[in-house]
Amino acid sequence: MLKVQEIRELIKLVDQSSIEEFVYEYDGSKIKMKKTASGSQVATQAVTSAAVKEQSIIEQAEPAKPVQAEKTESVKPSQPEEVKEDSANLHKITSPMVGTFYKSPSPDADAYVKPGAKVTKDSIVCIVEAMKLFNEIEAEINGEIVEVLAEDGQLVEYGQPLFLVKPE
Amino acid sequence: MQSELRKKLIAAFTNSGTEYLSGQTLADLAGCSRTAIWKHIEELRKEGFEFEAVRKKGYRITNTPENITADEISFGLKTKFVGSNIHYEETLDSTQKVAYRLAYEGAPEGTIVIAEEQLAGRGRMQRKWHSPKYSGIWMSVILRPEIPPQKAPQLTLITAVAVVQAIQETTGLHPQIKWPNDILLSGKKITGILTELQAESDKINSIIIGIGINVNQREEDFPEEIKQIATSILNELGQPVSRAKLIQSLLKNLEKLYLLYLDKGFQPIKLLWESYAISIGEFITARTLNKTINGRALGITEDGVLLMEDEAGTVHHIYSADIDLKGDQV
Repeated sequence: MLKVQEIRELIKLVDQSSIEEFVYEYDGSKIKMKKTASGSQVATQAVTSAAVKEQSIIEQAEPAKPVQAEKTESVKPSQPEEVKEDSANLHKITSPMVGTFYKSPSPDADAYVKPGAKVTKDSIVCIVEAMKLFNEIEAEINGEIVEVLAEDGQLVEYGQPLFLVKPE
Repeated sequence: MQSELRKKLIAAFTNSGTEYLSGQTLADLAGCSRTAIWKHIEELRKEGFEFEAVRKKGYRITNTPENITADEISFGLKTKFVGSNIHYEETLDSTQKVAYRLAYEGAPEGTIVIAEEQLAGRGRMQRKWHSPKYSGIWMSVILRPEIPPQKAPQLTLITAVAVVQAIQETTGLHPQIKWPNDILLSGKKITGILTELQAESDKINSIIIGIGINVNQREEDFPEEIKQIATSILNELGQPVSRAKLIQSLLKNLEKLYLLYLDKGFQPIKLLWESYAISIGEFITARTLNKTINGRALGITEDGVLLMEDEAGTVHHIYSADIDLKGDQV
């Protein structure tokens, strides 16, 4: 039987060649590779967040408009079900992706915002990073930061509230 | 920015290969006078292009300058949209900053920003990226995929695969990927990739992919503090490499993989990424802002997240970290 490393090597070679399909049979085991056969695979992913109940989203290879619509709905913090009374009127800035929360552009720099800070729609409030993709999160609302809900360096979930903002 | 006429002219010479193109044919293709064509050819000569002009046959390009100007990158470029807009500057603070602004102002998908040197190149956590003149590829690419923002990090792994394929194609060397997207030769870094996102909560406006490749630096060009961890293609290959050819190959492979990803999803990219990965199955150290995890790299998930098993047998999902391979001194 082939070792994993050898299979990786084979994938590499097949990828670089003009072969469309590759079959290897030896001693009862069989490996089949096909270049464009992976079109219909469907992956299931669980997304959790504090405000939104756990929910599965089917990701399809084709651009799936209905799925996007569904996600939009789930991210919007407009239905504060489990929010304390005193924060009922506060706006939540949520994380658009899973990743690491950074309060400042670099470890030595000052935080983008602190409680009490005034923000406008395009103020940057933090960075969420995953796999060296940096997402500068904008407030998307005019108001005042009331509370920072995430710790510097903490892993945050998709849809997780990061800040409470008192709208103006 | 190249003029539309210049773009058409370069494209015509790319397609004609070794055939001659007459002044009239060029004028017809570009929709201008033969005098205008002649003026453009003179300008290209000044840039370092060499032309052979034969009476009654026309022109062909016999030699190209060793530059990475927009003209030099477009001559021989075979992509549909990646690199069709080239913003070239001799010196920039950071190609990423300029690309970020251009993307914000509505630059079309596939626009690239490239410089001969960066005065303030940067890496993760605002770390400095050493990018001296004429020796490397300092470039940013703007893409506008219609995918949810939480999938955007996958683009950084796609870029890593494209860089590996381009270096293999151009030099015959076989680089490896260290999660998520550092490219190594002989265990030392030759490429760093940093990506930024412009997005609303549910929609990507643009992704700006910054790519730094050490190409023709000699060993003595590296500052003492990074000599142990960084190298260049020249160092490993023993001879200089045409940066323009490497860029063309990179843009071609990036476009191919990007279209494959939009069509088929991340799965085919994951297989390719794993086939080039250096650390899978190995003992590694992952350093995050708050903690350090030692353990064995198991692989990546369907989203590109690193799976790591620590000594106690707990499996960690790593989204961001600096990875040290076993034996690293850092």
